[in-house]
Amino acid sequence: MNYDEQIKQLTISVWDAILRLPIDEDEAPLPAGQRTLSACVHITGAWNGVLALTCGDQMAAESAAIMFDLDRAGVSVADMQDALGELANMIGGNVKALLPEHCHLSLPMVVEGMDYSFRVPGSRLVSRIPMRSGEHRVTVSLLESDAVAA
Amino acid sequence: MSLTAAAAKGTIDARLIMPFVNSTRNVLQTMLGLVTTIDRPRIKAVPAPEYDYSAIIGFSGKIVGVVVVSFRRETAIKMVTAFAGEVVEPDTSDFSDAIGELANMIAGAAKKDLGAVASISVPTVILGKGHIVTRPSDIPCMVIPCSTEAGEFAVEISIKQA
Repeated sequence: MNYDEQIKQLTISVWDAILRLPIDEDEAPLPAGQRTLSACVHITGAWNGVLALTCGDQMAAESAAIMFDLDRAGVSVADMQDALGELANMIGGNVKALLPEHCHLSLPMVVEGMDYSFRVPGSRLVSRIPMRSGEHRVTVSLLESDAVAA
Repeated sequence: MSLTAAAAKGTIDARLIMPFVNSTRNVLQTMLGLVTTIDRPRIKAVPAPEYDYSAIIGFSGKIVGVVVVSFRRETAIKMVTAFAGEVVEPDTSDFSDAIGELANMIAGAAKKDLGAVASISVPTVILGKGHIVTRPSDIPCMVIPCSTEAGEFAVEISIKQA
């Protein structure tokens, strides 16, 4: 099943409700050589997979400043990770409602680095929505896993 | 800080840690024929890079949090070769599958020993030097450094009773 449109709309809603920032689909990829953060929430149960939210550190810093009412200069890496994890959790929670009943969400896990990739063994990409909020690139991905969580 | 000292300070529950120590030893012995030496555990106060490849397993249910098994690149190559019985090119999907499966076995065996009703997620595998994996900020993280003939790796445990 294709969830592209629903995930796009859910992301727009979360960005508007939590950050009061516009965001919309944009094909441009995340620029290379930039420090990025990826927040993942695992979905287990009747449907297994991962929702991942990836953006540059500037978008994460702006999100943290807004969500935690901080000066942009005072935003720590931990604040960025918490903010992105919470945004992924909200989008993941809404995506879960689209999936079969009896699914559970894990706590968000956030990866940060310059040059990394993440994979979910045995999974396939269900949706990948490249988006843009102001000057910042954001990607939302949903991967479905054939493996059943233990 | 030793595991007992950390437990005594109330920073971490040793009963949640020992199953991972045992399952790590057992899985590596059974699947790879490797004897694992467990070095001095430490609390990871600030998120920081550990090694080059990490497999992350989420816990939910009566136990929540994440467990990360992090490998030095050379260690991962040797272990995956032993696991697959042939050389597997690093940074391929087969390679990350193998890394994820090892972590899945360690977490799965530990979960059984924990005796709690918990689910573990499918693994997420991170490939890349210098990456940092963060955990829920309200759960302390215990790092169990491990060494084998194949090299070093670490099991990072950040779970608690729900």
